[in-house]
Amino acid sequence: MAKVSDIVLWDKPGERVLLLGNQAIARGALEANIAVYAAYPGTPSSELTDTMAIVSKKAGVYMEYSTNEKVAFETALAAAWSGLRAMTAMKHVGLNVAADTFMSAVGMGVEGGFVIMVADDPSMWSSQNEQDTRVYAKFANVPVLEPISPHEAKEMTKYAFELSEKFKHFVILRTTTRTSHARGDVVLGELPEEIKQGKRKFGKFKKDSSRFVDVPSNARKFHPQILEKIEKIREELNNCPFNWIEGKEDAKIGIIAPGLSYAYVKEALAWLGIEDVKILKLGTPFPVPYGLLEKFFEGLERVLIVEELEPVVEEQVKTWAFDKKLNIEIKGKELVPRIYEMTTRRAVTAIAKFLGLETPINFEELDEKYEKVKPLLPPRPPSLCPACPHRNSFYAIKKATGGKAIYPSDIGCYTLGLLPPLKTVDTTVAMGASIGIAHGLSIAQNGSLSEEQQGPEKQVVVATIGDSTFYHTGLPALANAIYNRSNVLIVVLDNLVTAMTGDQPNPSTGETPHGMGKRIPIEDVAKAMGADFVAVVDPYDIKATYETVKKAIEVEGVSVIVSRQVCALHRIGQMRRRGEKWPIYYVNEDKCTGCRICINAYGCPAIYWDEEKRQARVEPTMCWGCGGCAQVCPFGAFEPMKEGEQ
Amino acid sequence: MKEYNIVITGVGGQGVLTAANILGWAALHAGYKVRLGEVHGMSQRFGSVISYVRFGEDVYGSMVPEGKADVMLSFEPVEALRYVNYLKEGGMIVVNTKPIVPVQVSMGMASYPSLEEIRKVFEKDFKAKWIGFNAEELAEQAGHVVTTNTVLIGALTQIPEFPLDAEHVREVIKISVPPKAVDINMKAFDLGIKAAKEILEL
Repeated sequence: MAKVSDIVLWDKPGERVLLLGNQAIARGALEANIAVYAAYPGTPSSELTDTMAIVSKKAGVYMEYSTNEKVAFETALAAAWSGLRAMTAMKHVGLNVAADTFMSAVGMGVEGGFVIMVADDPSMWSSQNEQDTRVYAKFANVPVLEPISPHEAKEMTKYAFELSEKFKHFVILRTTTRTSHARGDVVLGELPEEIKQGKRKFGKFKKDSSRFVDVPSNARKFHPQILEKIEKIREELNNCPFNWIEGKEDAKIGIIAPGLSYAYVKEALAWLGIEDVKILKLGTPFPVPYGLLEKFFEGLERVLIVEELEPVVEEQVKTWAFDKKLNIEIKGKELVPRIYEMTTRRAVTAIAKFLGLETPINFEELDEKYEKVKPLLPPRPPSLCPACPHRNSFYAIKKATGGKAIYPSDIGCYTLGLLPPLKTVDTTVAMGASIGIAHGLSIAQNGSLSEEQQGPEKQVVVATIGDSTFYHTGLPALANAIYNRSNVLIVVLDNLVTAMTGDQPNPSTGETPHGMGKRIPIEDVAKAMGADFVAVVDPYDIKATYETVKKAIEVEGVSVIVSRQVCALHRIGQMRRRGEKWPIYYVNEDKCTGCRICINAYGCPAIYWDEEKRQARVEPTMCWGCGGCAQVCPFGAFEPMKEGEQ
Repeated sequence: MKEYNIVITGVGGQGVLTAANILGWAALHAGYKVRLGEVHGMSQRFGSVISYVRFGEDVYGSMVPEGKADVMLSFEPVEALRYVNYLKEGGMIVVNTKPIVPVQVSMGMASYPSLEEIRKVFEKDFKAKWIGFNAEELAEQAGHVVTTNTVLIGALTQIPEFPLDAEHVREVIKISVPPKAVDINMKAFDLGIKAAKEILEL
C-alpha cells in the first residue's frame, strides 16, 4: 500500500484507493482547488489537518496548525473573504471555541468558498461531551452536509465549496467518528492544474465596512439576510446530489435516514429482508428540503426517522407535516435513542419494533450470555504511556503536596492522571479551564491576595495544563489569575507536542510542518505576565521536580512551573524510525522486597506483579527506558540491562 | 460474497489499526467494497481497542454489529473475551495467548482470568472455534517482537473459507513494511501460517 501522502496527491483519476474518511476529505479539498487551510487538532478531526500538513507544500496550499479553533476559523475566513477557497476543521467542542466569530460572521458571508469541517463524537470515544453540531448549524442558519462514506465525504467536500460560493454563505461539513475514522474505497477525481503544479494562490480583500464591520446598524441588516439565504438554500437542496428517494415507489411505509444513519438503515433492511419500503436518504439534515419531503410523503401512511443524537430532522419534518395538515404517523425518538451513536443493532431494533417484527438476532439473549462474561473482565482503561514524563510530574506533585491539594487539570493525555494510582486530577472541563478553575478555587477558599482577607487555612491548589492547551486557551486565564492576585501553582506539562491528537506541533515546539516557526518558551510568557515564581524542571529528575513543587507552593501568588520533557511516545517513535535503541530496565530479584511502591504509587504499565515470586517485574517489550522506576524504588531494585542482555 | 466481517481486538499500541489496514487493502485489491472502523485518540494509549474490517458486495456501515463477525483476530486474550459478543455462532477466534496484564490487576483491584476460562467461554458459551497460540514467541523467532501482528495475520489467512488469498495478503504486507523489515515479516507470516495449520489439523 502506498503512502497516504502520495495517494492524496495522486494524479490518477478513476483510481480506487482505501482512505480514511478524514484523508478523503483532504483529497476532496484538493480536488476543489483549496487555497488556505487552518485548524487546531481535535479527535476525530485531526487526520484531516495532518493530511493537509503533509501535502500542502506540494499542492501549493497554505496550511497551518493554529493555536485554537477560533483563530483557525478567523484565518480561513479572512482568506475566503479575499476570494479564495478556504477551510477550517475542528471537533464538535472546538466549534464552541470558534463560536463567537462563527455566529457573528455568518451575516457577512464570504467571497470564496468557505467550508467548516466539524467532527462530532457520538458515544464520546475521545471527548468531554456529546453535542450535535447540526443544532449549531440550525442555530446559526448555516447548511450542514453529512456524508455516508469516505467516498461521499470527498465528493461532498467539493459540493460544499460550490454551494458556499454560490450563496456566499458558510457551509458545515459534519462528520462523526464513524465517518472520520472509517476507511473505505474512494474513487479519485481530477486535480485542478494549480494543485498539480503546486502553485500558491493569492486573493484580494475588497474593503466594505457596511459588510465587514458588525456594528449594530449593520448587524440588523444581516439577520433578515441570513434567513432569506437559508430558505433559498433549502430550495436549492431539493436538487442536491446527496439527497435522494429510493426503494419501492408505492410503498406505504417510509424511512428517513439522515447522514450516516442511511448506512445503518440499509444494512438493517437487508438483514431484516424488508423491501416494501421507501427511503429518503438525506445528506443535508439542515435545512431539510421541503420539495423532496413533499415527493417522499406521497402515498405514505407511516414514517420512521432513524436519526443519531438530537431530533434535528424530526423537528423539521414534524413541523412541516403539521403545517401541511398531513394525517400521517411520524415516529422518531420514541424508537431511536437520543444518546450515544447509531449502530446497525439500533437501526434494526427500531425498524423491527416500528413494523412489529422480530429482530434477526435475539439481542436480549446475546446480552444475557455476555452479562455472564463481564465479571471475568479486568478493566483496561487507557493509561499514561511507559516513560511518560507526565507520570513523573504527577508523582512529584502528589508527593510534595501530600495528596492534600486540589488538582484542577485540563484536556490532553495527562487527563489520564485521574486514574489510580496517581489520582492527581480532580477537575477537567474544557480546553484551558484548569487555570480558570484553579483561580476560582483559590478565591473561594483563600480569598484573593489583593483583598486583605485570607481564608482560615491555606488550601493548596495545583493546576496542570499541557503546552498546546496552555497556548490554546490557557493564556487569558493565566493573565486573569495573575492580574487578580490568585494564590495557585500552575504546572505546565510541556512535552513539546500536541500528543493526544497525534504529535502536532504548537508554539512550544516551535517547528511548523513547513520548517521553523518561532518557538515561544512558556517560562518567558509566565515571567512577562508577572507570575510570582517561575521555574523550569525536567520531570525525569523526580527529586528535583519534587523539590521545586515544594518551594513553589510556599510562594504567595501565582507560581508557574514548566515541567519539560519530550513526549515519550513521540521520542520512541522517532528512535524506532532511526533504528536506535534505548535502555530497558529489569528487576534485580535480590533487591526487590515486594513493597509494591512502583505499582501502587507510580503505576507504569510496563511494571507488573509476579504473583508467584511476590515481586515486581518489567515487561521488556513495554519498557521505554526513562528510569523513573529506579528513582521511585527505595531499594534500588530496578536496573538497566546491559547491552546484549535484551 | 455479500459481506465478510472481521473484528480485531487488542491493546492500544499493539498494531491493531495496522492489521486492519493491511486486510482492507488486500480486500480492495481483490475487488471488494471495503469499510474499516477504528477508534483513535485517547483510547489508543494502552487501553482496550477494537477495529472492524468489512468487505464484500454489500457493505454499508463501518462497524460490525454484535453477533455478526465471521472471525475475530485478537492480539491479547482478555481483549478477545471483552468483545466475544461480536462473534456469530460458529465463528472463529485467532488469538495471541500472551497476556498483557493491566495496571489495575497488578494493583490488586481486579484479577486476570486464566486462559482456560477464556477459552471455555468461546468454545462452550459462544460455540466458537479457538485458534490460540503464543504469537509473540513466534515473532521473536522470526526476528522481532513487532512482527506479532504479521504472525497473526498469517494465521488468519488459513482459517476455512477465508475469502482473501494468503499470497495476496502477503504482497500487501511486503509493500507496507519498511524495506529492511520485509524479510523478518515474511518469516513471521509463514510462522503464523504454520501455527494455524497445525492447530486446524488437530
